Amino acid sequence: MVDAVIKIVRRLPPVLALLALPVRASAHQLDEYLQATLVAIGPTEIRLQINLTPGVAVAEQVLGLIDRNRDGTISTNESAAYAELLKRDLIVQLDRRKVELRLAACYFPEPQVLQTGWGIIQVEYSVTPGVLGAGGHKLTFENRHLPAASVYLFNAAQPGSAAVRITGQKRNENQSTGEIAFDFHPPPNPSVTAGIVVSLAALFVVLFAGAWQASKKLKVGHSDLREAISMEKRYFTSDLSSRS
Amino acid sequence: MIKKIVLTSALALFSGCFALNSSAQGNPAIGKEGIAGSANKFLASLDEAQRAKAVYNFKDDAQRKRWSNLPTSMVKRGGLRMGDLTKAQRDAVSALLAAALSPRGSEKVRQIVEADEDLKKSGGQAMFGHDEYYISFLGQPSTSEPWMIQFGGHHLGINITLAGEHTTLAPSHTGAQPAIYEFEGKTVRPLGHETDKAFALLSSLDEAQRKQAILGFKMHDLVLGPGRDGQTIQPEGIKGSALTEKQREMLLDLASEWTGLMIENAAKAKMDDMKKNVAETWFTWSGPIEKGKGYFRIQGPTVLIEYAPQRLGGDETKHIHTIYREPNNDYGVKWWTQ
Repeated sequence: MVDAVIKIVRRLPPVLALLALPVRASAHQLDEYLQATLVAIGPTEIRLQINLTPGVAVAEQVLGLIDRNRDGTISTNESAAYAELLKRDLIVQLDRRKVELRLAACYFPEPQVLQTGWGIIQVEYSVTPGVLGAGGHKLTFENRHLPAASVYLFNAAQPGSAAVRITGQKRNENQSTGEIAFDFHPPPNPSVTAGIVVSLAALFVVLFAGAWQASKKLKVGHSDLREAISMEKRYFTSDLSSRS
Repeated sequence: MIKKIVLTSALALFSGCFALNSSAQGNPAIGKEGIAGSANKFLASLDEAQRAKAVYNFKDDAQRKRWSNLPTSMVKRGGLRMGDLTKAQRDAVSALLAAALSPRGSEKVRQIVEADEDLKKSGGQAMFGHDEYYISFLGQPSTSEPWMIQFGGHHLGINITLAGEHTTLAPSHTGAQPAIYEFEGKTVRPLGHETDKAFALLSSLDEAQRKQAILGFKMHDLVLGPGRDGQTIQPEGIKGSALTEKQREMLLDLASEWTGLMIENAAKAKMDDMKKNVAETWFTWSGPIEKGKGYFRIQGPTVLIEYAPQRLGGDETKHIHTIYREPNNDYGVKWWTQ
């Protein structure tokens, strides 16, 4: 049954093939473009790892966007161009500010494999958000790439750094949009820590010196007092003895 | 003539599989020596060219990761194709799997392979069926040094890493299409226990627990399927600490459908780890609240299991993908890397 559908759809030109597909309500993976995004958040970099699997009935349409010169191969330029096209359909914001995606890596199977509906395209983008402030952050994601034919997955990877903690994830029903809330608590910077230690040591030396000086003065004061008491004692003693 | 050859080889493999099953039942706890011995016995049955094709260097990461849910015509596997082996060699493979897996594990492998044969017979293409499964090794069979057995094809990726006293199946993929079929007058469901136990656990949740466990959107496939080695996702759903004692037992019993595919000692060690961490283990469900139609995931500090019904073929209860992983220990890396 599935094979029969595949054969019929394959004989049609791409546009007609799309029209020939059953309506979405009865759709299955033959006519779906699965776009699965995994978001790995690190202290200095965010990675979006996207796996794209065009089903056999949409493979020609997707391939048409990749193999632009229709020569049956996917050149480096063509793969980069498709990654750029996909990037334009992705909207990523960090704390409500749009961030720039940079293509980090991509892998495209042979066109013949994509045509079977089993091929998986892998595209990875990176975001360098600059210095993240300590506290809570929100990353929002929207995928507008080929929405009529696509189904989506959107997930946060468990952070590899203890400084990042995912606090919540939200998606819309078809997972074309999502939000990841996370806390960032940067570990203490060693140079800052060293500075604090030196400052505390210096403060301690100053305080100690001050205390020593004060104690010295106090000692002088005490000896003066003792001398005065002693003189007074002597005076009263002599006075009493003279009176007796 | 060709039909006759195919039929003969299929029957030969069936007989090998049944031999596998009975031998497994006779040896419920074969030790590491038995696994290495069975592997060496199989390797000894090969000629030099076959042996060179079957055994990879243990450090060959490309081969380590060369497995998939997809048919072998789409994702090429390394090693030896079952259809290219003699009956005696196939029997040796069956004996090896019986030694390296639990009786439940080798039975599941047999049923998944038979499902693929059923798919082929019911009008599928030549890329399906018994012959399209591959066996390979990374490293030499040993009771002390790390080595690996790989057996897989369409809907099957068994990766057994053995490192001295340790054994793991992570990552391994089990799937089925059709997930229910008739064989010799009996109904076979290769992933039937997984399906039934998960739905029983979901049904045991009260309304407040369901609100935590059920995601408000549909998961269309495995999140950490083939090609996602070493990755771990943020857990979601209901935490073990929010389940009753009975429900925690049900969760562990469900997970045992994957951990229990390993040999007895390894399965016990893994289950002991899971019991220790059950309060920190999550269960989540997505999609229709119907048996076999919803995606579910079990995720804890030491395991990640996903079950994803597929719509390809029209009925998601008849096409299932699952994955078993161990966070931070896919391929047992913590036992053999610095």
